[in-house]
Amino acid sequence: MRRSLIVVLAIAVLLVAGFIYYALDPASSSAFPSCTFLKLTGYKCPGCGSQRAIHALLHGDVAGAFRYNALLIIAIPWIALCLYAERWRVRKPRLYERVNAPLLIWLFLAMVLLWWLLRNIFNW
Amino acid sequence: MQYWINHNGVQSGPVDIEGLKKMALTSRAYVWHEGLTDWVKITQLPELQGLYEMAAEPIAQGQPMATEAQPTSGTSTVTTGQPVQQPVQGYDPVQQPAAPEPCPPTNLVWAIISTILCCLPTGIVAIIYALKVTNKYREGDIEGAKRASETGAWWCIATIILGILFLPIAMLVSGVS
Repeated sequence: MRRSLIVVLAIAVLLVAGFIYYALDPASSSAFPSCTFLKLTGYKCPGCGSQRAIHALLHGDVAGAFRYNALLIIAIPWIALCLYAERWRVRKPRLYERVNAPLLIWLFLAMVLLWWLLRNIFNW
Repeated sequence: MQYWINHNGVQSGPVDIEGLKKMALTSRAYVWHEGLTDWVKITQLPELQGLYEMAAEPIAQGQPMATEAQPTSGTSTVTTGQPVQQPVQGYDPVQQPAAPEPCPPTNLVWAIISTILCCLPTGIVAIIYALKVTNKYREGDIEGAKRASETGAWWCIATIILGILFLPIAMLVSGVS
């Protein structure tokens, strides 16, 4: 009962957020928060460009989204898979272990760190 | 609450308690719902009392997952010769399945989401804790895995809260856009 309420609320929030990110362009609107890390340090964080990438993605522009934040585009299917495995953790323990294999987590960690470093060197 | 049923080797669900009432269940049925680590006999859940008929034969031991989804297949039974008349109330240590414990939550999803969307390096600590959970679990150190799981969850929460707290600070700092 309580769980389904949370799911309904989460979907509602996602829909509202999706509508906002579809209707307004974070690249030109000042209504969107900009990155704390970038503001404080002057360096891009692994997540910089995510809002513009989501806007592009919602308009069907995958290539544009990839240019704003490549990591986000790679992470979205990953997140979906993890959520699915998380939902069925107890009933499908082997799937959970496979999705959370050390090799895969290492791979993601390496991607984040490499992306963070490279995007600041090459200004991606 | 949603329930999954394994009745005479046939698995069904999810159904809610109203749906359970419509099913012709016997005390041989196994039930699973969110929060249980493994299947339990329907007789062991107090909230389901009265929703099943008592099976005419003594209940076989074993569990549906381990025995190819056949709760009553071939395993020896407690032969009292008498049909069980009363539902087995409460906890019966003999019939508790000794299934391997599933891996504690690695919180990897939340670690990834907080790393990407919160602009803070602390999300990476959460990813490292996800790694620790899997590694400890694979070594057989369930307790250690649980501890790492909890710590990792706190790093996710801290990252998200800090991300929100830092927003106004970032907006005050002018300059880089």
